[in-house]
Formats: sequence, C-alpha cells, structure tokens
Amino acid sequence: MSIPGLHLTQIGRGDFLLDPSKSLNTRNSGQLIEAISARLLQARAVRLYYDLSDQSLIDPVYYAWLDMLARAMQAINVRMICIQMQPTAAFALSRFLQEMPQFETALDIDDWR
Amino acid sequence: MVTKKSSSEKIKSLFGLKISGIAPELEASGIKYFCGDQRLMDSEEVTDISLEFESLIVSLLGSVDPYDVQSPEFHALESFFGSLSQQVLMRGGHVEDVVRYTQTLHLGLIDALSKSSGIAFSESRTVLLYFTGIFNELIMAVFRAYLEERESTMQALQAEIRETATPITEIWDGVLTLPIIGTLDSSRTMLVMEALLNRIAKDHAKAVVMDLTGVKSIDSQVSHHLIQMVRAVQLMGSDAIITGIHPEIARALVSLNIDFNNITTRASMSDGLKEAFSRMGITVSH
Repeated sequence: MSIPGLHLTQIGRGDFLLDPSKSLNTRNSGQLIEAISARLLQARAVRLYYDLSDQSLIDPVYYAWLDMLARAMQAINVRMICIQMQPTAAFALSRFLQEMPQFETALDIDDWR
Repeated sequence: MVTKKSSSEKIKSLFGLKISGIAPELEASGIKYFCGDQRLMDSEEVTDISLEFESLIVSLLGSVDPYDVQSPEFHALESFFGSLSQQVLMRGGHVEDVVRYTQTLHLGLIDALSKSSGIAFSESRTVLLYFTGIFNELIMAVFRAYLEERESTMQALQAEIRETATPITEIWDGVLTLPIIGTLDSSRTMLVMEALLNRIAKDHAKAVVMDLTGVKSIDSQVSHHLIQMVRAVQLMGSDAIITGIHPEIARALVSLNIDFNNITTRASMSDGLKEAFSRMGITVSH
C-alpha cells in the first residue's frame, strides 16, 4: 500500500517501520493517519517505529503531526516509538515541550527490542 | 587609465628584470626587528627571507602590469608576507614587529634600488607612490594573517574550555557520566547540553548519569535548562539519572515549582551508576 510522503514497511511480526520522506506533507495529517491506521489494522500491527534520522529539526508544526499520529496509534492499540532522534531535533523539541510526548523514544530498533 | 598605463610602463622600464643583488641591503630591517632581544629568527633565516623577497619583488616589477594587485606575482608577494606574519606570531612575536619590518623594508628597498641604479628614486613621485601602494597592500596582508591567527587561537581556546567544562566520560559501554562542577549558568548549560546530546548520538549511550554534587546554587532559568536537558536526553531514547542534589538545590527546585515527574534521581553518583547498570541488566557485585 503506497502512502504519499512516507514508506511503511513491515519489519517483523507486528512491527512496522515508518520512514518519512522529504515530500511528506503534514498538512494532510488526517488522510495520512487514516491510511497508516488502515494499513496497521489490516496487518494487526503491535508497534510502529517512526524513523527520525533525517529530521534535523522538530518544530511545533512537525511535533503536532507526531503527537496526532501517536494519539491515533494509542486509539488502535499500537505502540509508537520514535527512533534515531537527532541531537539538534531533541534540543529544539525540548525547548518548547511542556510535558513528555505521547510517543515513546529509543536510540534505534535494536535498542528498543 | 592612460596615466596608469604610462606609469605601469614607466615602472617596468625602470626596474623590469634589471634588479639583482639587493638582498644583502634589505637584511638590515630583518635583523633589526627579528634578531633583537626576542630572537624570533637567526641571521640565516633573515638572509633567506631577504633573498625570497628580492626574487618576489623582481617578479612583480617585471610582470605584465606591476600595478595589478590581482596578478599572480602580487599574490605570491602577499602570501610571503602572510606566512612571515604567521611564522613571527607563532614564535611569540607581535604584529607590530612585522608591520615595522615591512615599513622599514619599504624604505630600504627604495634606497637599495637607488644605489644599484644610481637614480635617486626618493625624488620620483611615480616610484614613491607605486611602492607606497604596494607596501600598504602588504601591510594589509600582514594584518589579515594576524587576525586569522588570532581567530584560530581563540577558537582553539574556546574549544579547550568547552572540553574541560563538560567532562563527559563513557564509564561503561553505553553509560555516560557527566559531573557538573561549579556554577551553572544558562550559556554553560547550553554548552553541556549540546556536548551531551552529540555524545549520546556518537556513543549510542543508553543511560546518562548527571552528577550535581559540585553544584552549589541554581536559579530558575538554570533549573529549567536542567529539566530541558533531561527531557532532550529522554527524547533521544536514553535514560537520564540525576544524582547528588544538595538540600539547598532540592529546596530551590521545590520553590521554583520544577516538575520532577518522569525524572529519575538518586542520592549519589554510585547509586546513579547502580541504577543505570540495573536498567541495562548488568549486576555489580562486591
């Protein structure tokens, strides 16, 4: 199933890797969340790893997208884990974050497992 | 344009490739400024630089347009003064030494050229203006080299201070320790945070123990930065453990309404390390 702006790949039983590309348009967050949820529900996913390795900065707009996706994942009982957050992104995000986010974080997939 | 062209021709016809053997006359300025009390160079080095200068100035005077400060011949002369300036500064000399050397060389060159040709160039407006223009550019090259050298020295010093202010150590595979000693102000906290986050990414650290035993006081802004630092560490996927909080710091944090939810604290560095090891499944026994 192709979702514009991201690659969603099954990497194990119940595990999916979401790799956003540069063309990801978070203004279509509603449609994106619907498409991702549909794919994960169909495959009975348990965990969703969101790869942030190419995201050098997380601003409030991008965080709003991550937060919305994390809430949607909670609703369908999928754990969302953001992996490989860059130091610059963590620094920027920590500056405006008031509380810990809805998603979990890990250095990488192996570290989480 | 016509004047400049005719001046250029005049300079070329006066000096073009006809100068030789003036280097010994130019050594006096080098000896005066570089072989004095400071002993920045020995006399052999001064001879070498005088010979090199002679060869470069002869090339410039014999070039297509001796006025052209973009010509390869002029760039070579500029680089010579840049390198000389760096060499003197690295040996503990001052920029004034090189500037005064250049100024004396300017006068010495006109004298040497007058002697070798038998023409009193000190009375020729064209020649004086030409060499003044050239030597002004060369003094600029000396200052540029000085500023570059100073800038790189300052950057090296700042890097050293940053390094010593943030002694982040990987005490075990994947476990970093960061003892914070002295006063924590906002700019230092930012430096520590930057170094720590980069180190987590580089070493793939799973836990960070931040020890505040050496911190005697903390203000509102810094405490927020501290929490921000812990949050950033957690966002990268590592565990942050704060240890060694003094009673005064604890009191300050409470009065500042700092939320310690989701933040692991331990009394001492050793307790913090035990906690980090236990989270990684490592058992330490006596």
